[in-house]
Amino acid sequence: MLDSKISRRGFIKASAATTVLVSAGTASFQNWSSKYVKASGKTEIKEIASTCNGCSSKCGIIGHIKNGRLWKLTGHPDHPSSKGKLCARGHGYATLVYSKERLTQPLKRVGEGKFEPISWDQAYKEIADKLNTIIKENGPGVVSLTEDPRATGKFYSPRFIQALGSPNYYTHHVVCSNSRDAGFFHTLGVTATSADIGSSKYIMFIGRSYGDAIRPSSVQSLADAKEKGAKIVIVDPRLNNTGNFANEWLAIRPGTDLALVLAMSHVLIKQNLYDTEFIKNYSIGFEEYAKELENYTPEWAEKLTGISADTITRIATDMGKAKPKALIEQSWRGAFGCNYENSTETGRAVALFNAMLGNIQQQGGSIIGAKSHLGALDPAKYPSPKKPELKKAGQEEFPLAYEEQGVATIVAKNAMEGKMKAAIFHHANPALGYGNPKYMKKAFSKMDLIVTIDVQMSETALLSHYILPDVTYIERDEAIESLSGKTPGIALRQQMVEKVHPETKPIHQIYSELAKACGFSQYFNFSLDELNEAMLAPTGITYQQLRQKGTIMFPDMTVELGKMPELKTPSKKVEFSSEKFKEAGFSPIVKWGEPKVSPKEDSFRLITGKQAIHSHSQTANTPILMQITKDYDLERIWMNPVRAKDLGIKDGDLVEVKSSEAVSKVRVKVTERIHPEAIFVPSHYGITSPYQKTAVGVGFGYMEHVPFDFEARSGAGNIQEVIVKVRKVKG
Amino acid sequence: MARYGMMIDTRKCVGCYACRVSCQMQNELPVEVSFIKFHEIETGVFPNVKNEIFAVQCQHCEDAPCESVCPTKATYTTEDGIVLVDPEKCIGCKYCMVACPYQARTQDHLTGVVEKCRFCVDLVAEGKQPACVSTCISTARIFGDLDDPNSEVSKAIIKYNAKPLRQDLGKTKIYYVR
Repeated sequence: MLDSKISRRGFIKASAATTVLVSAGTASFQNWSSKYVKASGKTEIKEIASTCNGCSSKCGIIGHIKNGRLWKLTGHPDHPSSKGKLCARGHGYATLVYSKERLTQPLKRVGEGKFEPISWDQAYKEIADKLNTIIKENGPGVVSLTEDPRATGKFYSPRFIQALGSPNYYTHHVVCSNSRDAGFFHTLGVTATSADIGSSKYIMFIGRSYGDAIRPSSVQSLADAKEKGAKIVIVDPRLNNTGNFANEWLAIRPGTDLALVLAMSHVLIKQNLYDTEFIKNYSIGFEEYAKELENYTPEWAEKLTGISADTITRIATDMGKAKPKALIEQSWRGAFGCNYENSTETGRAVALFNAMLGNIQQQGGSIIGAKSHLGALDPAKYPSPKKPELKKAGQEEFPLAYEEQGVATIVAKNAMEGKMKAAIFHHANPALGYGNPKYMKKAFSKMDLIVTIDVQMSETALLSHYILPDVTYIERDEAIESLSGKTPGIALRQQMVEKVHPETKPIHQIYSELAKACGFSQYFNFSLDELNEAMLAPTGITYQQLRQKGTIMFPDMTVELGKMPELKTPSKKVEFSSEKFKEAGFSPIVKWGEPKVSPKEDSFRLITGKQAIHSHSQTANTPILMQITKDYDLERIWMNPVRAKDLGIKDGDLVEVKSSEAVSKVRVKVTERIHPEAIFVPSHYGITSPYQKTAVGVGFGYMEHVPFDFEARSGAGNIQEVIVKVRKVKG
Repeated sequence: MARYGMMIDTRKCVGCYACRVSCQMQNELPVEVSFIKFHEIETGVFPNVKNEIFAVQCQHCEDAPCESVCPTKATYTTEDGIVLVDPEKCIGCKYCMVACPYQARTQDHLTGVVEKCRFCVDLVAEGKQPACVSTCISTARIFGDLDDPNSEVSKAIIKYNAKPLRQDLGKTKIYYVR
């Protein structure tokens, strides 16, 4: 074993290369070595509990501060997502605080890609004047605010846009989980359940990979389940990094997950393995759905999915027998978050399959989480802006999309049509990540005002009229975050080190000061501490206690398993048939639908997903993380050897990837771990902002190839409805 | 006195690199220098495929070849079985790098000192786990005293029949489960 990789002889050859490493870390190796010799006992180490910003999981972290400088992080032991552990990006992304490529002062655009420094006061004044003028001329429906929400943003951002009189608040979910959210919401009354993995006996993942898009506690639960003998099935066109835990990999033809779930549901009925009691007591419309399911035999699904009818029957039967401790994990983006024209229906079918297993609110099943009861600001002292009467842009076109999140790419579409004049982007990079970058650039060029609030010069920032520099999450306090789940809790992000760049400001301060310039400071007449004190009031926990602990859970409020809660659907039950879908002009029951496009013999479907070391485009410019990409060539696309042979492509070859939208060059990883019909490209690369020197030019941007589109039901980006051709090129 | 060692369960490893990055931060290493390297072995043909991931670092060999070739005795083994390098004595001759069967050593080109995994000796002295162990998201790493039959690591090595990476290259203190 490992013969080719590790041997004395092999190493002699490699040693020459090892000696030319360049030292560019935050501390030199020499520094470290001598420190080690002298022992670090004298150095003062402070520990501060906070939350990570490496991805949307926002794990609890402990920052270890050495002489006022962030040294390292460890996972917060009490936080439900970290449970004492932390992933690579969680560790590495924190070095952002000392990045040489941060935004350090407010900037104003003076030409394409050209910016000049501007004072905060002047920036506020000019932005406020423009916002007020735009609203005066066009009404407040033409301004918008989009973010990938964190605790402070969740409170301040909707409040800010509402104070402007606009309902147009959007989140990143349009390229994350809009389809799943719509499917689940109209079926179970929640956009997502959580999975009681540790107690489950049979777990199916569809496109979701715990080992790639990591929440450490989920991986631990999976390891526990495996240890206890649970059966784990991965459905994915590629054998993802959770593969080591799987008993079985179903290499499904991409875009056909819905057919698989429908056929498995068919089997549950045929074999009489569904939970009739649960269906009778807690659902509506089952008969209609059961009738429709008659069409979807395993033999029918085999032709579409490439998974044998026997396998489909066997797995569905085994899951039926293991119920209610069996589940299809609910995913985030996975295979049906925003990928295909049929994704919302896949979301519904998954929620309904879990309901047929009667696993809702059961041990080892799908859990509808509890929320912490937090207080609010006293409205007499701190008035809230009026809820705008206008409908959120996009709601008319996509009434099934979860309203709170909206359809963020409608901002670009409406801008293109002259109906959206201003956009504020906070902690979001839609120009690269939300929609086709060429389309987004053109759409953004038509707007009168774009303001980006960020920590680095993103592609979106480059297209903005004003750029306001945020402090990093290591340098700021935030609003209290409510943690929902089986056991609810609260977590606090706290400032760990003094801010590195004096002209940067935390987001709550930016909103409050901009509100003053806009003329509605009365809606922001509280401090962040006052807000947090108000939120904490009903919990009996003091701010000081929370500051010390960082994460506090409420075990008394743990959901009662075995007890079905009243659902927030119109019928208050699981909806096998949805009136809401009917009203929106769609079939009230789930039916099979083809994906929009399909590859031919000479082409591939382009699919994407996360790697464990990066999170969207936001972590790409982190040297300690990007070095891993470089060391292991992780930016390469994956191709099946059979297809590679046909195309004369060998592992490591440079190829051209061509779609209707773009042409990219990249190297190939030839691997048996991918479906012959698919090309996999990690979703983090292709940074084009020249200001991000570590990341620019590495790999290619997935979204470059995605046609600008909306899935009909949820408005999601249809990001895997992409066909590409690949050919070898010289290089 | 202990004999510290580790077990790495490759069946649980998802190749997330958390160990690498936490190690780099713990030890304040330059981004290009890592004490942990990763090897993947893909076997089978689509769709029957297996991908094994091996995280490899200094195996803390018994009778470490790097130690025996070191001309200045910079490399030494502590009473607790941890193989360390004294940077004050290292002359950067790289003999140890050539001698190491696991390519586990790396040199700082500025100082010339050759270094490697130290089993986080500072943390261990405080009764804590090495950084790579405490952060491992799937608990694929277990660390402890190999001489203590009741330690978690000793019991796990027996339970899972863990073996050194290359038994033919001598005895080590890191055991792998495949």
